[in-house]
Formats: sequence, C-alpha cells, structure tokens
Amino acid sequence: MSAWFDYTVNGFVIGNIYALLAVGLALIYGVANLVNFAHGSVYVVGAYIGWAAITHLGTPLPLTLLCVVVVCALVGVAIERIGLRALQGSSRIAPLLATIGIGLVLDQVVQLVWSPDPRAVPMQVPEWRIAIGGGTIGALDLLIAGIGCSSAAVLYGFLRFTKLGWAVRATAQDSDAAQQMGVDINRVNMAVFAIASVLSGISGLLVGMYYNQINPAMSFEATLKGIVALIIGGLGNVPGAIAGSLILGLTESYGIALFGTSYRNLFAFVLLVAMLLWRPNGLFAPRRAAAPEPMVGTFIARSLPVKLPRWVVPVVLLAAALLPLLNQPYLLQIGANSLMYAMLALSLTLVAGTVGQVSLGHAALLAIGGYASGLLALDAGWPVALAIPAAGLITAGLGTALVWPAFRLTGHYVSIATLGIGEIVSLVILNWTGLTRGAIGLGGIPPLELFGVDLGSVQGTYWLCLVVLVLLALLQLRLLSSHLGRTWRAIRDDSVAARSHGVGEDRYKALAFGYGGFAAGISGAITAHVYSYINHETFGASLSVLALTMVILGGMGNVLGAVLGATLLIALPEAFRALAEYRILIYGVVLLLLIRFRPQGLMGTV
Amino acid sequence: MSLHRRSLLLGSASLGAGTALAPRSAGAADPVFVGVSGPLTGPNAQYGAQWKDAFDLALEQLNPAAQHKLQYVFEDSQSDPRQSVAIAQKFVNDARIVMELGDFSSPASMAASPIYQRAKLVQFGFTNSHPDFTKGGDYMWSNSISQAEEQPTLADYAITGLGRHKLGVIHLNTDWGVTSKNLFSAAVQAKGATVTAAEGFLPNERDFRSTLVRIRDSNPDGIVIIAYYADAATIVRQIRTLGLTQPIVAVSSVYSPKLIELGGDAVNGVHVITTFFPDEPRPGVQRFVEAFRAKYNRDPDTFNATAYDTMVLASTLVNQYGPTRAAIREGLGKVRGVPSVIFGTMQFDQTTRRVEGAQYKRLVVKDGRFTLFTGGTPS
Amino acid sequence: MLEVQGLQKRFGGVTAVADGALTLREGELLSIIGPNGAGKTTLFNLISGLEPPDAGSVRFQGQDITGAVPEALAALGIARTFQHGRVFGNLSVLDNVLVGAHTRLRAVKPALPLLGPLLEMALAALRPPAVRAEEAALRRDAEQILARFGDRLLPRLHQPAFSLSYANRRRVEIARALALRPKLLLLDEPTAGMNQTETAEMQEVVADLKRSGLTILLIEHKLEMVMRLSDRVLVMDNGRRIAEGLPQQVRNNPAVIEAYLGHRHAGAEPVS
Repeated sequence: MSAWFDYTVNGFVIGNIYALLAVGLALIYGVANLVNFAHGSVYVVGAYIGWAAITHLGTPLPLTLLCVVVVCALVGVAIERIGLRALQGSSRIAPLLATIGIGLVLDQVVQLVWSPDPRAVPMQVPEWRIAIGGGTIGALDLLIAGIGCSSAAVLYGFLRFTKLGWAVRATAQDSDAAQQMGVDINRVNMAVFAIASVLSGISGLLVGMYYNQINPAMSFEATLKGIVALIIGGLGNVPGAIAGSLILGLTESYGIALFGTSYRNLFAFVLLVAMLLWRPNGLFAPRRAAAPEPMVGTFIARSLPVKLPRWVVPVVLLAAALLPLLNQPYLLQIGANSLMYAMLALSLTLVAGTVGQVSLGHAALLAIGGYASGLLALDAGWPVALAIPAAGLITAGLGTALVWPAFRLTGHYVSIATLGIGEIVSLVILNWTGLTRGAIGLGGIPPLELFGVDLGSVQGTYWLCLVVLVLLALLQLRLLSSHLGRTWRAIRDDSVAARSHGVGEDRYKALAFGYGGFAAGISGAITAHVYSYINHETFGASLSVLALTMVILGGMGNVLGAVLGATLLIALPEAFRALAEYRILIYGVVLLLLIRFRPQGLMGTV
Repeated sequence: MSLHRRSLLLGSASLGAGTALAPRSAGAADPVFVGVSGPLTGPNAQYGAQWKDAFDLALEQLNPAAQHKLQYVFEDSQSDPRQSVAIAQKFVNDARIVMELGDFSSPASMAASPIYQRAKLVQFGFTNSHPDFTKGGDYMWSNSISQAEEQPTLADYAITGLGRHKLGVIHLNTDWGVTSKNLFSAAVQAKGATVTAAEGFLPNERDFRSTLVRIRDSNPDGIVIIAYYADAATIVRQIRTLGLTQPIVAVSSVYSPKLIELGGDAVNGVHVITTFFPDEPRPGVQRFVEAFRAKYNRDPDTFNATAYDTMVLASTLVNQYGPTRAAIREGLGKVRGVPSVIFGTMQFDQTTRRVEGAQYKRLVVKDGRFTLFTGGTPS
Repeated sequence: MLEVQGLQKRFGGVTAVADGALTLREGELLSIIGPNGAGKTTLFNLISGLEPPDAGSVRFQGQDITGAVPEALAALGIARTFQHGRVFGNLSVLDNVLVGAHTRLRAVKPALPLLGPLLEMALAALRPPAVRAEEAALRRDAEQILARFGDRLLPRLHQPAFSLSYANRRRVEIARALALRPKLLLLDEPTAGMNQTETAEMQEVVADLKRSGLTILLIEHKLEMVMRLSDRVLVMDNGRRIAEGLPQQVRNNPAVIEAYLGHRHAGAEPVS
C-alpha cells in the first residue's frame, strides 16, 4: 500500500504547482469575469526574468524574486491597460480572444529575446530533502506550498480588510453598481492583473527551479492546467482554486497509477468536462439560481454586415476558379490550404457566430473527419470519393454526440468544455491504438481521386476544394435564410426568450453542430488525403484557436467573412515569410489590433 | 548569443538565398541551391537553429574548393504540415533547387512527401526516423539513425554491458518513441531479458513522479529512457529525487551537452549510447568538432552532427553527379563512402533508402562530463 | 383555464414566492400588482417554466404543467413577455416576430427523434412550395401583428432590434408573443419605461387584445391602467396573495393600502 501513499504525495506535489497558477486565474476571473489565456505566458516571462537576473546579474533569491515581481506586475498592468481596458463594452468574447492574442505575442517575444532553447535555472533554495513514503520532498516543494497558501491568505486578507480589496470585491459582485458607488474600476482591474501576473511570474520561476528547466513552449500547458484546476475549484473562487489544483494533481496521479502515464491528461480533461456538467460553478459553490437577464445582444458585437456590390462575389469566384491557369503551384497550394480552412471556418462561424457556442475544440472535428476517411480508405478499402462524404457524416454524428452534454452550458463554460472535449478526442486517438494506430499515426492514406480521376496534383486539390467549399457555403447561406437561420440567431441572442417561444435549444444546437461537423469533417478528410499521413498532433489545439481567429476576423456568423478570414490567415503568414521568425509576432499584433479596432470583424457580424 | 541571433537572421529567406558566406571567386559556376523546410519559430524552433549552425559550417568548409558552390534556402515551416506542403510547392517549382532537406517532424515531412514524389525532387528527411517515411516513394531518403539498429545496441548496453535483466522503460509517446520502444522490447526479449514496465509520456510533460512510482513498483534493476535530452534531464532528476538508485541507460538523442546543464549533478552515472561523441579521436569527428568550436564557441551535439553530415552529402552529390534533380536521385543510389561524422562513411541501402552502420559509442556521465564507458558493472 | 395552487420558490435563504395561487378563466384579464420584490416576476417565471417550483402545482386547460420546460409551454399556447424586454438584438424586427411564430411552423413539429430534425433541415434547405407558402403567410401575419402598433414598427421592419428605442423593443416583444397565437398571454410590465403617450397607446393595444377574447395575465405598476383594463386584480406582497377581487374592491382594501404605504419605494405611482 506504500505505493498509494506515494501516488497521493505525488498528486499533492504537482497539485501544489498547479495551485500557484490557478490562484491568479481565479482572481482575474473573479474580478474581470475573464478566463485569462495569457496567464501561462506571464508565467514564462516570470521564469525567464528570474533566469536572466540570476545568470546575468547574479542576484540572490530575494532580489531575483523582486525582479520577477516588478517586471510581471508591469506586464500585468500593460495587459490590462493596453490589451483589455479598451474592450470594455464590446462583445463578451473580445477580451477572451485578446488574452489569446496577448499570450501569443508574449510567447514570441520571449522566444525572440532568449531563443527557444531550454535553459537551466540555477537552484537558489537549499537542497535538503525529507524522506516521505518511498520518495522525498524538498525545500522547494514546501516553499511552493507556502507561497501558494500564503498568497491565498494574503489575498483573502487584502480582499477582506483593505479599501482596494473592498473595491475589488464590490467590482466582482456588480461592476456597474460599484462604479456608481465611486469605485474606480480601472484601478481595481489594474491592481488585480498586476497581482495575478506577479503570482504567475513567481510560479514560473519556482517551477523553473523545480524542474531546473524553462522553455518558451511551456506556457500553453501551464494555462491549460491552470484553467482545469480553476474550473474544479469554481471560477473566481480563490481558496477553491487551491483545492481544485490539489484534486487535479491527485486525479492525474491516481490516473497514472491505475491506467498508465499516457492516460494522465485524459483523466485531467475528463475531470474538467465532468465538473462542468455536474457542477459548473465548481465543487465549493452552491448551485446557483438562474442567471440574471442578459443585456440585449452583448454576446457579439452589434453591427450591420458589410454590403458588397452585387458583382463582387461572382467576380471573385470567377477569379478563384481561374487561378490554376496562372500556373503558380505555390500560390495554388496556399489557395487550396485556404479553402480547406475556409470549410472549417464555415463550420465554426455557424456554431460560434450564428448559434453563439464559442467552441475552442473545433480542430477535434478535423481529426475525426481525417481519421474516419483515412481509416475507411485504408482499412475498409473504400474509394476516396465515398470515404470523404462518409467521414463528413461520421463527424457530424460523432461530433454532435460528443458536445451534446455541453449543450446546457453557456458563455465561457461552452468554450472551456469544448476545449476539454477537443483534448479528449486527441488523447483517445493517441491511446486507442487498436483503431487509430496510436502515436504511429495513419500513413499511406491514398491521394485524392474522384471515381478514377486523379486529383492528387495541386490543381486537382484546389479544384475539388473550391467546388466543395462553394457547395457548402451555398448550403449554409440557404439554411441561414430559412427559419433555421433566425432560430439559431435567436438562441444566440437570448436563449431564455427563444425557449419561451417554443424553440427547443438542444434540437437547434444539435442541428448546428451536425452541419458544422459535416463541413469540418469534410475538411479534415480532404486534408488527410492531401497529407497522406496524419497523427494525433496533426490537428492540434492551436488549430482550434486559429479557426476561431478566422471567424472573428471575418465577422461572427458571416459566411463570406469566414472564407475571407481563412484566406487571409493562411495567406498572411506566407506573405510575412520574408520576416522569418518575426512573422508570428506580427501575426499576433495584427490580431490584437483587429480585436481592438474592428471587433465586429471585416465583413461584420450577422 | 548576439552572434548566434545574427547568424540566424543572415540565413533567413528574406535574403532569398540563405547564407552565402563564401566569397564568389571569379569563374565559379552559378551557385546550386538546396531547399530546407524546418522549424525556425514555434515549439521546435531550437532544432532549426541547430541545423543552420551546422549547415553554415559545412558550406563554409566545402564551397571554396567545390566546383559547384552550394547554398540553401531555409523556409520556416514551424514543423507544421499545413506550411510544409506550401513550402514543398515553392521548392518544387523553384527550378534552382535540386534537393530538399527536412522537415523536422514526421507529420510535417510526410504530408509534403506526395508533392516531392510527384515532382521527382528528392526529399531528404534527415531527422525522420518514422518507419513509413521512406515508404512515401523512391524520392524519399534519409540518413536518420535507424531505430532497428539503435535499439538492439541500447539493449546490448543495458544487458551485456551493465548486466541488467529487468528493465523499466519510460518513453516519449510519439511515433518515434513508440517505434523505438517496440523495437527495444523485441531486442530485450531476444536477449532473454524482460521489460518490466513501459510508460509513455506526452511532450511538454514535466512531472514524472507518479510514472516513476509505477516503474519502481515493477521492480526493475535498470531504467531505460527513450526521449530527447531536455525531457531526459527532468526524468533523471526525478528518478533520483524519488530515491531510485538503479542504473539509467538512454538512447542517443539524450546525448547532448545540454543534458548536463539541465540535469545537474543528478545525471552523473547516466549511461547513453551515441553515434556522435566530440571526444572520439577519429579524424573526421575531430575536424568537425574543432571547426564547430572555433565558429560557435561551444560543443556540437548530435543534431548539429546529423545536419552537418547531410550538407556534406548534398555537396558531394552535386559535385559528383551534377547539379540537377535527376542526377541527385541517381547519385543517392550510387554514392558510396561519403565521409560522415555519424557513420564514418555513408552509403544507402537501395530498398530502405536509409543508411546503415552507425558507429555507436557507450558513454557514461562522470563528474559532469561525458566519458567513454570502459566496461564493468557500475558500483 | 389556468389554475395555480400553493406555488413556492426559495433562493438560498430568501423565499421569493411563499404561496402563489390564482385562477384565470378563459377570456379574462387578471392583473397582478404589488410592491417591488413582492414575487410577481418569480411567479411568472414559475408559471412559464423558466424556473421549477419547490412546491405547488400549475394546471393549464386541465392539464398539469407544473415544472414543464418553457418550450413545451409555448407549444401549448402560453406566451410571455419579460420585465426588461428581451428582444433578439441582432435580429430584424420582422425576424423577432417570426421567431415568435416558431411553434406554428409545420417543419418543426416534433416527429421521430433523429429524423425529425434532419427532415426539418432538409425542408429548410430545399424549401418546397408548401414551405415557401407557409413562410409567406407567416410574414403577412407578422406584418399584421406589427400593424397593431400603428407606424411605430412597420417602417422599421428590417432594422436590427438593438437599434430600436426602448419602447419599440417592448412593442416588438409583445408582437413576438402574439405571433405564437397564444391562448394565454403573460405580460410583465408592458409599459415600464414608457411616457404617457406611449403608455396610453399600449393600454389601447392591450384593451384591443382583450376585446379579441385573449386570456391575459398582466403584471403592472401603473394602477390607472390596471383599474381600466382588469376584470380582476390580485395583490401580492412578500410572496403571498394579500388580496384579490374586482378592481374597485381591491383599491379600497386596507391590507393593500398598508402594503403599498409600508414600502416607500413601491411603484404605486407611474414610473418616470
């Protein structure tokens, strides 16, 4: 039984580390009502500042910590001041996307300044260790636990007994009322971002010391685990975040004990989704009454769609159809890529824009489509022309069934649940070796062909994608102009009012996810046949974010906008190629500017 | 470090044509280009940077004396298949390019393979150990170390070299890691020993404590790590933190000066096999290591060495068989005895289109340095 | 037609509705009045299925509908408006009203669990003549409903609802509820935030609806309007019925006067 004791200790040790992240996230959510996706990036900044201070300046621990505190506080203030303050009053989804953009920019800056090489962080904490069970616990473990608990305690005291803390709590309860009572909301938000960023930065440094290693790529994992812990503890609940972190650590540890290491994250995400469904307000919150009435139409930016002159679409379409005649295969490949992503964007703009279910796991639909078509062609020997539409149908069914339990969630919860479901799909693909060949992936997927006509050339791929995209777009426009379109948009604008007029939410969400799954599944299937090889990483979480960016860029719910957004976001990094390693940074900045200055997207929301 | 950054920038595609550090001598033929598709940004960016260092060094050494001066065009793919296929179209339709090197990861490389195969441009995936990579077509070649060769060598080190018969394996859960683990298990069984547990972890994982408890409870007398150096450093530290004292044996990708930097004292006593070892007295190795140290003021690692070998091969092919795509393809089938840091000399197996005969060294970390392991069970 | 008995609802420690009870006959207009926080809107939410009651029962046309979901109640012919006006901001005025007619669409009639929705999608995509005719008829109907509000809304048929004035949004909401062709209409403060002219217009619209035979349950603060329109009045305070009867009776009931005087901020006076 000593092993179980060890698993428990290990669960606490790793949960301890998650706690530092989750506390900051909880604080920001509590006050700004925002899941801060840039949190992990601040963590990386903190780690690198600490590393730079120790290696270049030779600072002792207190001074190192001071450097991290100062820099991260400034970063936090900058995030609030530059990135988010201007977005008050714009659509609810804008700040969330802004944090994604800020994270992207911070990661790139760190990578440009300090290179992507992993670095060793010199240990500045005494190296004594206590034997406990079969393993040991060191001074750093205790320090991390100490900082986690004491920061929670200090935060509690701050919130309870200081004037600014009182203002923070008032703002968290009701920011409008607080403002009327003379609370300076901006100052409060700024203080909160500074505090949360400092916590995040310190945890970056300590975790860097703990593993003796930091690299810029560690931000995503940190954000993800922090968010899972946050959900378990209850959004905005600081002590809950600590408990949630420990529970997450224990779950992972026991998951490894029972099923093996490769199931670890599967357990974490299953726990996340289960929590969202079972107790969306977290373990430590009472079940709340119905949400208060929303302000009208705050979900998406209010705007009128851009009206194009009649001739524009046919002319652009004609030009697109004639593109292969230029005989520029590189251009054509980018075109084909854009078209494949445009199908994904169509799917997401329907689900996120028209129905208001902002999915952060949409890439999983690509994966399902790709694997379905690949396996049908490889193992069942289906012709490609049949495998692709079949994959579309399979994705529609499976995708809808997977999201079905999350239909009763709203707002941020939908995004986080879909993020979790997306990760689960990827991990199931990785672990279901018998069907999917696990990590080895699917190789030798036959190239595109239509009843014997070879479409494997770039021209063939492009033509096929263009035809499929036009058909999907026309169908989607047709549906949007029918009663389905207004019903979907009614659910998005106010689901309570829609239900009161006889609109069964589940049915219409399912129809949207079904159609969206079909389009995304086709996209994934075509991609699989073009690539000839896919594995569980081919359609990773970053693609989900990319797809959402396309949708926002084009204008939520806007079919033409989705196509335009996909084309731009696939073409832009290629156009920025000359800028080499700066291109992703520039991409992030462009994204932020867009959210700031044209939140309704280029073509306007519909 | 600033020098390092600058060299990266110089090599960027913004100049249209990679680094052409060698001055053009009068009368030299027009330069010949190879295309490189690899990560310069994104999570794998460090590997692209390592390639560049090695490529620049190789070209600096070879070009002055070569008839055909070689240059490279490096396009950043982020190791992302979406971008590697676009790059493939770019290269395929750039008449100057006679051969392609990369991409880094198997998904990115293999997604582009159909395009290279169709266009009859050699795709030389020098880091692609995925067993299916060269099955993509007769234009897919690789000099990446064959795991079918490496894993039995590793098993031999653990079993006969160190006298271990119950091995716990911790491996990266990727195409490479799983292939390697399977080959390793087979080799272990063939030698009459057993694998007590095999645990796969995901990239980006940092916490291995519970994984190690599982390994510990399977009662191994040795622990085998199939991973890259950065993860391996973390794993070894946690093995020792948990109080496990079994000898540790690791694959060649763990060999890197960075292992010592990231692992600290904990990695003392770790055994690795490697195809590349800077202290190896062989002249081919010493020439490379000295030149690399002189240029970059640090020790090269296996990624540098492989990339260097690859550029030497490319220059050899161009100069020996001619600066055309067809000549390169033909040359790969014929070429023999190309000097190589990793293999000594390189020649390709015509059916697998891979190189065999890597020369493995057994190393052990002693007092923070890699040293050749001279046999006997460790105390 | 509507029979409510012993409804109870607590939020945390607060009892919002302690004993909700009322009966409503066909064609009748019953007003619910009472000070702010008396539990009127919660009672509405319990009847219209937005929140499940902790105890009690609701019967509609002899059928037990306690705890039924709102979409089911809409299908039975119960329509409602909301206290603060919940229009679909990004939908046009016409589309708002058409959503109200959702339950009347033939395509949405529930059939087999999986085939029903798929058939609905197919009909939406193919739009055979019958579907087109139905849609056109609904459109004409919607315009007729909007015509009840004179030229307040007709010229703005294709404007998004968020661009409308507050009063116009309230009108759209009522039009949307009427598009359902309700048997029972629940109106939650239809004149809140309206000036005198607008209130008078709204009063006329409600009177008109009553004349057409529609059964109406009305929450209203403006007593003048309540007195003019109601067949009966029910007074609530602290989650309980404290009086019920003809408008004149209720007006002179001491308990009612007490309840109103006891709450300084009671909305007994017309708001704004």
